[in-house]
Amino acid sequence: MANATLDLIQGLLWSKGLHIGQLNPGNRPMAAMMGVPDMVPFAGAQSHDHCMTVARVPARKFYWDAELHISTQMAVQRWYEMDGYTVIADVYNWETEALGARFIYSDNAMPTPDVSHPLISSPADLARLKPLDPTKGRVPFACELARLTAERASGLLKDGFFCSPFSMMCNMMGYAPAVHAMRRNPQFAKDVFAFMEEGAILPFVRAQAEHGHLKSFTGPDAWACFPNLSHAMIREWELPSAQRLKALGKKNGWDIKAGSVAGDYCEEDPAKFDKKLMWDSFDLINEFGLLGMKMVLGAMGRTQEWDPLWIKEYADTHGHQPVFLGLNGRFIRDSKPEAIVAKVRQWIDVLGRNGKLVLNIANIPADTSPLNVFVASRAVHTLGRYPIARDLSQVDVPLPRFTPFDEWLKGQPEEEVIRRSREK
Amino acid sequence: MSDALTKLKQAVLEGDDATAAATAQQALAEGLKGLDIVNSAIVPGIQAAGQLWKENQYFLPDVVMSAEAFSAAMAVVQPTLTAEGATHTGRVLIGTVAGDMHTLGKSIVIAMLQGAGFEVTDLGVDVPVRTFLDKTAELKPDILGAGCYMSTTMLSIKDIIAGLQERGLRNQVKVMVGGVPTSQEFADEVGADAWGKDALDATAKARQLMRR
Repeated sequence: MANATLDLIQGLLWSKGLHIGQLNPGNRPMAAMMGVPDMVPFAGAQSHDHCMTVARVPARKFYWDAELHISTQMAVQRWYEMDGYTVIADVYNWETEALGARFIYSDNAMPTPDVSHPLISSPADLARLKPLDPTKGRVPFACELARLTAERASGLLKDGFFCSPFSMMCNMMGYAPAVHAMRRNPQFAKDVFAFMEEGAILPFVRAQAEHGHLKSFTGPDAWACFPNLSHAMIREWELPSAQRLKALGKKNGWDIKAGSVAGDYCEEDPAKFDKKLMWDSFDLINEFGLLGMKMVLGAMGRTQEWDPLWIKEYADTHGHQPVFLGLNGRFIRDSKPEAIVAKVRQWIDVLGRNGKLVLNIANIPADTSPLNVFVASRAVHTLGRYPIARDLSQVDVPLPRFTPFDEWLKGQPEEEVIRRSREK
Repeated sequence: MSDALTKLKQAVLEGDDATAAATAQQALAEGLKGLDIVNSAIVPGIQAAGQLWKENQYFLPDVVMSAEAFSAAMAVVQPTLTAEGATHTGRVLIGTVAGDMHTLGKSIVIAMLQGAGFEVTDLGVDVPVRTFLDKTAELKPDILGAGCYMSTTMLSIKDIIAGLQERGLRNQVKVMVGGVPTSQEFADEVGADAWGKDALDATAKARQLMRR
């Protein structure tokens, strides 16, 4: 089913029990968000530097060449048998870089802002900044990547991307000065927020909209996860900013969704896990209204040690919300295959029996063994077949056999672009 | 306890760096010894912040502000400590690995280590492997701490440990690693002596390493 709208409708009908045709990797996640699909989807993951490493693509080309970037991510995610694509590049950097911040570039890692030489240290620095010029930095790359993503990728996230305000503030000032300003010099912090919204994000979104005829934009905000910010600070600063951006977008006919993953429960110490705080994170994420629907989102935290019954109880008592849960990237990298299978088995057993469950890996570390990613992917698709087996402990998930990436790549549409990039 | 010390402890706890520096100065002006100011106000202030963090009463912004206030107060008192012949729990050399500019976690770890009595030398961010090795040879720290915050840059920690081995330094220094993408499994894999989950954990592990 090539037509994207028909594809989506098929997914929605499937979720309601009208099984017309077969679901595909592109519409399975949507079907799962709405009801019961054919199997629990293993949605695409944020994995740019992992994909770059697997495909042996040089960083100095990968982060500048939109065609290479999307080709690499799509090929590697398809190789992993993921449902839909999640083409997210180093989205936190683009505006800050275009505004003139000093960056570190290396042969094997993404560009990273040099916060030892921050763009903004004082109100005078802020006053000197000019609104973002869309011809500067890698904005043209970002615009082209957004256009290609909307054109080619399937899945839940086909938006243009921008960096949400608090994360951008961290990139421009450093985390500590940013929270210092919010606490001790709120007028300065408000001025920084105003500049980011109208002087950085809006022109950047406009550039993407004009280049790729896009209407929908998502702004990740990993720096604003909990406990990087308290829930109170997120509600005081990031939520109103997201609402202002939403209103600014509406005036221009765009849907601007800032604060993606703001409030995500990222407590690292299991001894400090607190049901009330975790649930407040779930509430907060819903206040941002990311995919236009309420859902329980666990993205970057130490999810492998969460009590899944806390998640189930929240979902069940809050209108049977779908659960979108990320396997922790470090857990996938560091675990033995048996541990990954056991975790997937537990989650599907507790959370997936009635549909409304999407699993993914939140940010796959660059050096993760492909075997472990395949283990996760195959475990989700094997254990997550509907109707879910009554006793999942009896369902065997054999160690996956897979064709090495380079061999698999032969004859794939992305082969030439990827191979050519490896030439000096 | 004098008013200045009470106020200083509270300023560190509440992350008020300006008041922390001013009251540390005031305490010195009142004739209090630097070591007493550190032990009865500055360190208890940062420890109280750590306790509130453990109890989910403080979140990262609170801890960062406390660490800044701690540093501000320590900067005032530090010059008097050497003259008073203060001793250290141990000496730590710390830095963020090459290609990585992140400094937040390292700053908190440094504050907590100093609060626990360690003398800390900060190599900064984007530190090449060679610098880690040269400085280890030169300063002979008890502990070498390497932080990394990206899964691409963390791989250079392997090179640091291999370099220590090659230069015959590995048995003279304990190696601790930390940072967002790291884990106990990673620390084991690269042959580090300890992994610091967060600043409090890093400080506790550093103390344990000194007892080995």
